[in-house]
Amino acid sequence: MSAETLVVILLFALPFLSAAVIGIWFRLQGNIAAAISVASCGVVALLGLWLVFFGERSVAPAPVEWLTFGTYTVNMGYYFNDLAALLLFIVVVVGLLVHIFSLEYMRKDEGKARYFAGLSLFMFSMIGIVFADNLIMIFIFWELVGLSSFLLINHYFHKPSAVAASKKAFIVNRVGDFGFLIGIIWAYWHFGTVELSVLADMVGQDSDILVTGIGLLLFCSALGKSGQIPLHVWLPDAMEGPTPVSALIHAATMVAAGIYLLCRIYFLIPPEALVVVLWVGVITALFGSLCAITQKDIKKILAYSTISQLGYMVAAFGLGALAVKNGVPVMQAGVAAAMFHLFTHAFFKALLFLGSGSIIHACHHEQNIYRMGGLRTKMPVTFVTFTIAYLALIGLPFITAGFFSKEAILYLAFANNKLAFLVLLFSALLTAFYMTRLWLTVFFGAPKSEAAEESKENGLLITVPLGILAFFSIIAGWEFLHPQAFSGILDGIPHPSGWTYLLMVALGSGAMAIGVAAAYVYFGVGSRQDRLEREHPGVYAFLSAKFFFDQVYNWYVKTIQERLALLLHFIDQIFISGLIIRGSAGVLGLCSTGLRNLQTGNLQHYLYWIFFGVVVFWILGRTVFS
Amino acid sequence: MVNSYLLQFAILFPLAFALILLVGGRRIPDPVTRIIAFFGVLYPALIAIWLWIAFDPGASGYDFVANVQTGLTDWVGISLKTGLNGIGLPLFVLSGVVGLAAGLHSLLTVREKVREFFILYLLMLGGLMGVFASIDLFFFYFFHELALIPTFLMIGLWGGRNRRYAAMKMTIYLTVGAMLSLVGLIALYVQSGAEAFNMIAVREAMAGQTLSEAAQNYTFALLLFGFGILVSIWPFHTWAPLGYGAAPTANAMLHSGVLKKFGLYGLVQIAAPMLPGGAEHWAYLLALLALGNVLVVGFITVDQSDLKQMIGYSSVMHMGYCFLGLACLSVVGVGGAVFLMFAHGLSVAILFLLADYVYRRTGTFDMNAMGGLARKTPLLATFFVTAMLASIGLPGPGLANFWGELTVFVGLWQWQSWMVVPAVFGVVISAIYGLRSMGKIFFGEETESFQKRQASLPVIRDLDFGEKVPAVILLAVLVFAGLWPRTLSDPLNEAVQSYYPDQRAETLATTQEQDEKIVYRGTLPGNE
Repeated sequence: MSAETLVVILLFALPFLSAAVIGIWFRLQGNIAAAISVASCGVVALLGLWLVFFGERSVAPAPVEWLTFGTYTVNMGYYFNDLAALLLFIVVVVGLLVHIFSLEYMRKDEGKARYFAGLSLFMFSMIGIVFADNLIMIFIFWELVGLSSFLLINHYFHKPSAVAASKKAFIVNRVGDFGFLIGIIWAYWHFGTVELSVLADMVGQDSDILVTGIGLLLFCSALGKSGQIPLHVWLPDAMEGPTPVSALIHAATMVAAGIYLLCRIYFLIPPEALVVVLWVGVITALFGSLCAITQKDIKKILAYSTISQLGYMVAAFGLGALAVKNGVPVMQAGVAAAMFHLFTHAFFKALLFLGSGSIIHACHHEQNIYRMGGLRTKMPVTFVTFTIAYLALIGLPFITAGFFSKEAILYLAFANNKLAFLVLLFSALLTAFYMTRLWLTVFFGAPKSEAAEESKENGLLITVPLGILAFFSIIAGWEFLHPQAFSGILDGIPHPSGWTYLLMVALGSGAMAIGVAAAYVYFGVGSRQDRLEREHPGVYAFLSAKFFFDQVYNWYVKTIQERLALLLHFIDQIFISGLIIRGSAGVLGLCSTGLRNLQTGNLQHYLYWIFFGVVVFWILGRTVFS
Repeated sequence: MVNSYLLQFAILFPLAFALILLVGGRRIPDPVTRIIAFFGVLYPALIAIWLWIAFDPGASGYDFVANVQTGLTDWVGISLKTGLNGIGLPLFVLSGVVGLAAGLHSLLTVREKVREFFILYLLMLGGLMGVFASIDLFFFYFFHELALIPTFLMIGLWGGRNRRYAAMKMTIYLTVGAMLSLVGLIALYVQSGAEAFNMIAVREAMAGQTLSEAAQNYTFALLLFGFGILVSIWPFHTWAPLGYGAAPTANAMLHSGVLKKFGLYGLVQIAAPMLPGGAEHWAYLLALLALGNVLVVGFITVDQSDLKQMIGYSSVMHMGYCFLGLACLSVVGVGGAVFLMFAHGLSVAILFLLADYVYRRTGTFDMNAMGGLARKTPLLATFFVTAMLASIGLPGPGLANFWGELTVFVGLWQWQSWMVVPAVFGVVISAIYGLRSMGKIFFGEETESFQKRQASLPVIRDLDFGEKVPAVILLAVLVFAGLWPRTLSDPLNEAVQSYYPDQRAETLATTQEQDEKIVYRGTLPGNE
C-alpha cells in the first residue's frame, strides 16, 4: 500500500472515529469531546497538507467492491487529482480554523459534545466528497454532508425557528438530490459505469455519447447544495446554526461542493446543459445581491452574499466549454475560473462569517446590524480582519484575492456572453453596495445597544483564526504564489491582455467604486435605521420579499401538498377501508354466531385449541398433499 | 452437519419452551417463566448469527440442509426439510435478531398474563424462524400460520386502543390473503406434478415442463394477491397501520419487521422463479400498485399525527419499494428488494420500539401533543433520529436501507425508466414525514398539553439500561449490514442469480454459461 493510500484511509478514519467515539462515550463530556474532535482535525489537517503538497496524484489502488448484484457493482475508491487537492486544502485549513474558533465560541454551550461530534461527522463526509471516485460514492457522502449540515443547523433544537430551518434545508436538498440520483442511475445505464476516470476516457473516445438530460440532472445536485435558484431558499434559513458552522459548511466548503462536483464531472456536462448552468448562475448572482440589500441580520446578509457568489462560480462553470484533445477531455477556462473563485471565496467568506461570529459572541448574540455600531474601536482585530475580507469580497483592485478571481469570471463572461457579463458586473456593483452598508453600520458611528456598548475584543482562540484567514484572503489571489500542487487547475485561469485588460480592470473597479460610493452617500456612516426602508418602503418591501420564493413554496405546501395528503387519507379511511370492512362484517357476523360458543374467555383453552389445530392441520395437510 | 441441526433447533427451541410454559401452567413461578422465555428468544438469535457467519457465501443453492423424519414418516410421508439459501439467510437472521430484541423488551415490560404472553410470543417466534428455514412448501405455509394466529390473539388481549376492531380487520385481511396464497401453492403443486411438496422438488418438476400461459397467469395471480395482501400491497393495506397501532409493541415489531416479509419472500423465492411467465404477465400491474404504495400511502403518511400509525403507514409505503424491485424480475431489482426487506425489518422494528419508549414518557402517541423531548431524553432522541433517517433511506446512519432502495432504483430503470421518477420522488415524501415526526416529538418547545400532562406522568428520564439493550441490538445489526453489506449481499446475489436473469448481460450477449446457470428461462424478457 502506498503512503498516499494510507494517508487517505487515515483521512477518512480519523474524523469518523472521532464522531463515533464522542457519540458513544463522551456525549455528556463537552470538553473531552472538543479535545478529541480538535485533535483529530489537527492530524487530518497535517496529513491533508502533506497529501496536497507532497502526495503523488492518482496512485489510487483498485477500488474495493462494496456491493454486487449481477453485473451491477458499487465500488469504493479514491481519485486524487489537482482539483481534489485544491478542495482538500480548503477543507482542512478552514476546517481546522473553525474547530479552533469553536473552542471559544461554543465554550459554554450545553450541547458542546453534540456540536463537536457533528463537526467531525462533517469533516468525514466532506473528505468523502473530495476523494470519491464514482458517482454513487459521491452521492453517499453528498447525503452525509447534508445530514451533518442538518444536525448542526438544528443545534439549538429548542428554537422552533432552528427546527424549521434544519427541516427545510434537509427537504430542499433532497429535492435537488432527487434529480441527482435519477441522473446517476441514468448515467449508469447509459454509460455502463459510474467510475469518474472510466467516464472521462469514454467521453474522450467519443464525446457524442453525452446526453443533455444526464448533464442537467447531475446539475440538480449543485442546485440544492450550492443554493442556486430555485432551491436557494434553505441557505438563508440555515443561518440558525451556530456561526462557526455557517462559516465552515454554509460558506466555505459544503455549499461550494456543488461547484466542485460540477468541475469534477465537467466532462459529463454537454454544451446544451452548460447554457442552462450559465443562466442559473447569472440569475442567482443577481438575485442574491438584490436580496442582501434589505437584510438587517448580519448573517443573513452574508448568506445572500454567499448565494450570489456561488452564482458567480456556477456561471463561470457555465461559461466554459467542453473540449477534447487527443482523446482526453481537457479542463477549460470555466473550471479554472470557477475553482479559483471557490478557492478565494472560501477564505474571505469564512472570515466574514467568523468575524460576524466574533461580533455576535461579543455582543451577546445580537445579530441585527442596526443594534451594533462603533465596533471599530471596541474590537480592533475583528475590525481589521473583517475589513480585509470585506475588501476581498467587493474586489479591491490589485491587492485582495477576490479581485483576481472575480476579474477572471468577468473576463470570461465578457469574452463569451456580453449579456451575462453586464448582469454579473451589475451584481458586482450591488455587492459593493450592500457590503459597504453592512461595514459602515456595524463598525462606525456610536454603539446602538447595550450589548454593543459592552462588547470587547475576543481572545486568541478567536482572533488567531481570523488573522490566518485574513492572510489567505489576500494572498490566495496572487497567482505567482500559487503552489505547483494546484497548477493542474489554476494554470487555466483566463487572462485578458492589452486593451481588454485595462477595460476589464476599469469596469470591475469602477463598478466596485460606484457601489461603495453609493452606499456611503445613501446610507451614511453608522446609521441607526435603514434609509431605504424609511424613504422608499415600496422598493424595500419588494426587495425584502425576496421575490416570493418562500411564499410560493409555503403556498404549495399548505394548499396542495397538505390537502392532497388529507384527501388521500380521507379516501383511504372511508372508501377503501370502510367499504371492504362493511361488506365483510356481515359475513363475519354469521360466522361469529357459530363460533361464539367456542369463546370461553379462558386463554388456556385458546392455547390448547391452537396446539390441537396445529396437529390436525399437520396431519390433514400431509395426507392431502403428499 | 452440526449447523443443519442448529438450524432446526432454532425453530424447535422457542416451540419447545412454549410447550413447557403451557404444560407447566401456574406451577411455574413468574421469574422462572421469564427465564425460560429469555432462553427461548436468545437461542434462535444466537443460532441465526452463527449461521450467518458460517454460511458459505459462494453457495448458490441451499446450505445447512436437513431432512428430519418425523414419527409420521412411514404413515403419511412427512418430513421436515429445512435449509437456508441466500434469500432465506437475511430473513432468517432478521427473525432471530428482531425476535430477540422484541422478546427482551417484552420480558422487561409485560406485566399482565405473563405466561400466556410468552407462550404466544414463543409460538410466533418459532413460526417465524421456521418460515424462512423451510424448504418444504407445506411447512413454509404452516409456520406462517403458526406465527400469524398468535398475532391476532395478542392484539386482542394485550393491544391498545381499537384493539378489537383492529384484530378483526387484520384477521379478515390476512386470512383472505393466506387462503388465496394457499390455493395458489396447491395449484402450483398440482400442476407441477412434483413428487414432494417442497420447493426443490416443485422447482425441478416445473423446470421439466411448460405450463400453458393461462395456467401460469392465474396461478401467479392467486399467489401475487394472496401474498400481496399479507404484505399490505396498495389498496389492500388498511389493516396494517391499524393493526400495528393497536398491537402490543413486541407484536408490532415482529409483525411489521419480519412476519410481513413472508409474502414477499414467497413471491421472490417461489412464485416468480417458478412461474416466470405469470410473473412477467403481472409485473406491470404489480409495479403500478407498488407505486400506489409509494406515492398514495406516502402522502397519507405525511398526514398522520399518531406516531404508531405514522410508522405503520411508512412501513406500508416502503413495501412499495420491495414490490417495485420484485417487479423488475432481474437480479438487480430482486436483490435490492430482498436487501431492503432485511433493512426495513430492522429499522421499522426499532421505530416501533422507540415509539413505545416515547409513549412511556409522554403518555400519548399524538405527535401534536409532545415537543422538546430531546432535552430530557437526548439518547432516545439520538436513537430515534438515527432510526428514522435510516428508514427514510438516507445513506448515513443505517446505510442498509439506502443500499436496498438504490439497488431497486437501478434495477427499475432498466425495466421501466419512467417509474424511477415517481419512485425516487417517494424519497422526498419520506423525508417530509420523517423530519416532521422528529421535529414534533423531540425538538422545539414543549406543547401546552404536554406540559399539563406531565403533572400526572412520572418524571421523564432518558433510556435506562433495559431499554437501551434491545435498541442497540437492532441498531448494531442495521449499521453493520449498512457499512459492510457484502456479508449479506454476496450470498443473496448468488441465490438470486440462479433464479433470475441479469437483464443487462442478456441484452449484451447470451453465453453458454448463463444458459446452464439460469434454469427457469420461460418467457423472461430479452430472452426470446
